[in-house]
Amino acid sequence: MSPLPPAQKLGAIQIPIEAKSTDTHCPYCALQCGMTLVQGEAGLEVTPRDFPTNKGGLCRKGWTSTQLLRNRERLTTPLVRDRKDGPLREASWEEALDRVAQGLMKAQNRYGLDAAGIFGGGGLTNEKCYWLGKFARVALNTSNIDYNGRFCMSSAAGAGIKAFGIDRGMPFPLEDIATAEAILLVGSNAAETMPPIMQYFDEQKRNGGKLIVADPRVTKTAEEATLHLQLTPGSDIALALGMLHIATRERLLDYSFIASRTNGYRDVQRVVAGYWPERVEQLTGVSIEKMTEAVRILAEAKTALILTARGPEQQSKGVETVLSFINLALALGKVGKKGSGYGCLTGQGNGQGGREHGQKADQLPGYRKIDDPKARAHMAKVWGVEEKSIPGIGRSAYELLSTLGETNGVRALFIMGSNVVVSSPNANLVRQKLQSLDFLCVADLFLSETAELADVVLPSTQWAEEEGTMTNLEGRVLRRKQAQLPPVGAKTDLEILSALAEKLGFKNRFAISKPAEVFEEFRQATAGGVADYSGMTYERIENEDGVFWPCASEEHPGTPRLFLDKFNTPDGRARFHAVEYSPAAEMPCNEFPFYLTTGRVMAQYQSGTQTRRVPDLCDASPRAFVEIHPSMASRYGLFDGELVKVSSRRGEVLVETRFSFSIRPDTLFMPFHWGGAGCANLLTNPALDPTSRMPEFKVCAARIEAPNPFGSTEAATVAVGENS
Amino acid sequence: MTKRKLVVIGNGMAGARTVEEILKRGGSNQFQITMLGEEPHGNYNRILLSSVLNGSQDAKDIFLNPLDWYEENNVELRTGVRAESIDREAKRVLGSDGAEIEYDQLIFATGSRPFVPPMEGLTTESGETKPGVFVFRTLEDCRKIAGYATKCRRAAVIGGGLLGLEAARGLINYGCEVHVIHLMPRLMEVQLDDPAGAMLKASMVNMGVRVHLEKSTKVVLGEEMVTGLQFSDGTTLPCDMVVVSCGIKPNVELARECGLTVERAIAVDDQMRTSDPSIYAVGECAQHRGRVYGLVAPLWEQGKVLADAITNVNPNAAYRGSKIATKLKVMGCDLAVMGTHTATDERDEEIVWSEPKKGRYKKLVIRDDKLVGAILVGDTSRAGDLMQLFEREAPLPDDRENLLFDLAGAPQSSTLHDMPDTAQICNCNGVTKGTLKKCVLNGTHDADAVMRATRAGMGCGSCRKLVKEVVQWAQAG
Repeated sequence: MSPLPPAQKLGAIQIPIEAKSTDTHCPYCALQCGMTLVQGEAGLEVTPRDFPTNKGGLCRKGWTSTQLLRNRERLTTPLVRDRKDGPLREASWEEALDRVAQGLMKAQNRYGLDAAGIFGGGGLTNEKCYWLGKFARVALNTSNIDYNGRFCMSSAAGAGIKAFGIDRGMPFPLEDIATAEAILLVGSNAAETMPPIMQYFDEQKRNGGKLIVADPRVTKTAEEATLHLQLTPGSDIALALGMLHIATRERLLDYSFIASRTNGYRDVQRVVAGYWPERVEQLTGVSIEKMTEAVRILAEAKTALILTARGPEQQSKGVETVLSFINLALALGKVGKKGSGYGCLTGQGNGQGGREHGQKADQLPGYRKIDDPKARAHMAKVWGVEEKSIPGIGRSAYELLSTLGETNGVRALFIMGSNVVVSSPNANLVRQKLQSLDFLCVADLFLSETAELADVVLPSTQWAEEEGTMTNLEGRVLRRKQAQLPPVGAKTDLEILSALAEKLGFKNRFAISKPAEVFEEFRQATAGGVADYSGMTYERIENEDGVFWPCASEEHPGTPRLFLDKFNTPDGRARFHAVEYSPAAEMPCNEFPFYLTTGRVMAQYQSGTQTRRVPDLCDASPRAFVEIHPSMASRYGLFDGELVKVSSRRGEVLVETRFSFSIRPDTLFMPFHWGGAGCANLLTNPALDPTSRMPEFKVCAARIEAPNPFGSTEAATVAVGENS
Repeated sequence: MTKRKLVVIGNGMAGARTVEEILKRGGSNQFQITMLGEEPHGNYNRILLSSVLNGSQDAKDIFLNPLDWYEENNVELRTGVRAESIDREAKRVLGSDGAEIEYDQLIFATGSRPFVPPMEGLTTESGETKPGVFVFRTLEDCRKIAGYATKCRRAAVIGGGLLGLEAARGLINYGCEVHVIHLMPRLMEVQLDDPAGAMLKASMVNMGVRVHLEKSTKVVLGEEMVTGLQFSDGTTLPCDMVVVSCGIKPNVELARECGLTVERAIAVDDQMRTSDPSIYAVGECAQHRGRVYGLVAPLWEQGKVLADAITNVNPNAAYRGSKIATKLKVMGCDLAVMGTHTATDERDEEIVWSEPKKGRYKKLVIRDDKLVGAILVGDTSRAGDLMQLFEREAPLPDDRENLLFDLAGAPQSSTLHDMPDTAQICNCNGVTKGTLKKCVLNGTHDADAVMRATRAGMGCGSCRKLVKEVVQWAQAG
């Protein structure tokens, strides 16, 4: 009898755990919509659940999410490569794990401990993030661990810590959106990236509130705005400073708040004097009238929120950009009061928890700093290791990736839950660097573009097949629950790490691998930290519709709103920062006359490893495109839907044009969910923010042209190669 | 390492900014910095003086470098001190307070002063400036004008350029009748063409400012104080104060006396170095490639290059000149101008939109598909983008109306009947009008049931009202 085709093989093991329905959360973005998975004829089906984040609403990504569980391309057996240029072949777990352990150890023996590296992801559960960080520090003793969250909200995190002494994306619950009289949303296309959140904005507007959106494009979100500020890419700081100047001039500042709850305003005041409206209008392209209207709306509202997302954050001055908007919020007195505040709309499913628990190069669990002696002592005790054996600060994501294979760089890399070939800036270089490694292991659900390059690929379980906790954009900790058994052959990430640790000789420190067990150790690890989860239990999280951190004891109710009495700085005051505008690292020029900005579409998620494998989503958004203003397209003789070449100093892509009157004529837009010839990150600029090490995904200089119809361009060759 | 002594003459927008740029580049490790400033306070944003004059801004909010900034940054600021002479041999500056200040490197940031054309009667018999005569350059001038204007019934501004008009606008606030006297046949003749000049005049008149063109002032009348003006055509205008705003004149006497090359201003190279390699000049007192700039953006660009060079942070830094765009903000009359106001080359194309009754006028001058000049009167909502295109010499969109008007984005409203089947009704779940119609035609008539079946409205729910309308429409057939 011939072996069963994969679909049937997978279908056959879709056994419900116990119940016919399971309350859990969507596998994708940071909103973490509640959903109930119900066993249907073809497998698990999604039904909506009335949970505070989504109130029963789901976008098409959520609705179709169980298709991932039945996907034919799902990995169910480890794959290994016998030689660098050889093919991947199936292997036993024993063989695959041996190879990984050997690969990591060989590099460490030859080049030192830091030659082994770990790269994690913001989609991993808190338990996994914690375990991954512990694996790096305890089993590998390497300082080199970082993750794709650097590419997500690290700038907002850096700014939050500087201004407020703490980074919790939204220091208030979503419900505050609905009650805010005014909201300034900077560089967020929430209507497409996390659609169910728009319920709160709709409610806000129904309540008479006003929504201001700053974005270079008239996005679906901007269409909902009371006022849209269509700024030039990369000019956000100037906009914030200009608005603060106007607020000062119009005598709208809250001087008593400034005096009683903040420090550092005076330096900001003098910087702001240099950003008079006419100058800012030129820098941003936003008219003085609109800036003035925006300022008045914010200042006159009794409650106001300023929210940022990747637009201002994914810049080489992302931290300063966020700080400039925090300055505005502080000066208007719209922070630290119920109903007002600054928040960041985090992107990845566990973007918040993922940045708190030790998969970041400079950080230990509980949002502790790795160079803080007290934090090190605490973790040494929890882990039962010598404090001095815990490594110091390692390289940040892009620095780690761009030095792979070099003399002092990482030589053996283990990637969990990240598709860096698609999601990193300057993707060509990152691909080359991965290929130059002595050893690469990727643990993933599917053979992603990154996994294709690996020496060993380990099949992981996913989402509805496992347990764990996630921390959503509000800082609300949620339960992800198992709804079905994983396919035979896949292991959980926790099991993989514990098994590897055993092979590396650390069985005693990694003797557990069940999420609930790891969670108990994790609670202890976070105890006393900034992000303290020690009072949370799985039961509490479930019974209370999630628990907001910090929560230091089982009696503690959790903390939906921070800063009501004081900020987390030593003196309890928020800090202004005298930041100035500077141009993007790369500005348009004769050769590359356009700004190129990147972003998302509704039907795809991140690097598309998951969503590109869901047929309904692929039908909706099948491939990459470049959005261009028709008037600029006609200038270059381009047609709508035509295949064109877009290039930057780092590479070129072949994509279809999509005409849109909603984009600034000087700007091109590309979504970043695809690999291959349409990979937007072949073009993006890896210029890094000095604090957050965030690359400048949102601004670079680019050129657009009809591809040469004769002879194959380099990009065309790549296209054929990728699609075959 | 002993620090080099850096002396900066002038504490205005160019001087202080240059010092800031030097400090940003770690200059405090290299230099002991001394600044001489004639005015008694720190550096303020001179651009905003007209806003202070017209009452829309508090003077305290325009300081870029308050006095304690200097202290915090270890910069010695000598306020109220003028540089009297420079001994280049001994590398010493003699201050008006008698101090001799040694330098290793020296920066001229002496700026400029108002140009006052020759006329009779500017001073009293004793040689003092006649009470009621003002120039408009410093915060002190601003305070004096404001103080005097409250007692005046009629004020005259000599000069119909940018600053003169801003001063005129400011004076209205003090309740006096304001007259602008201009030598040329149109206001702002350097920046504007005839139609724009006429429209600007009309809106100034509308605001209550009386404009007198082609008038040359001969005499400031009055013995003890200003009582009027007499013009070259023999006519007179009674008034009790006069603000002279006829342009600026670089402060270069000191540089000339110490032997530096001075033409219209102090000649500098691409690193803002004068003919003496240890002396730099920056700002309105500097002449770069034959040009002297009076706007702030160029001064700040010069300051960066100077700082790069003097700190050796970027030894190859070079200033290559600036393009000038400016926006005048007079309440009731918005105006933005950049580059040339009229086609001057056979390649040039002028694109003009004119609505004189509404006071709106837009003109673009395009050369080789680049914007080389523009005038916007009345509606300046596109000014920011145009100034960017002008400055960057960026390629222009084919449809020029995109440059003139804010056309972006306005979503087209249409009736349900006209809406194509492919139109997306539910964005979250990608449900089109056609899908909803099909669902209804297949027998589902209840809107909630249609929503459940198609998932329309099951995301953020924003579209539910529209979905219901489509369902009703489909049922009606």
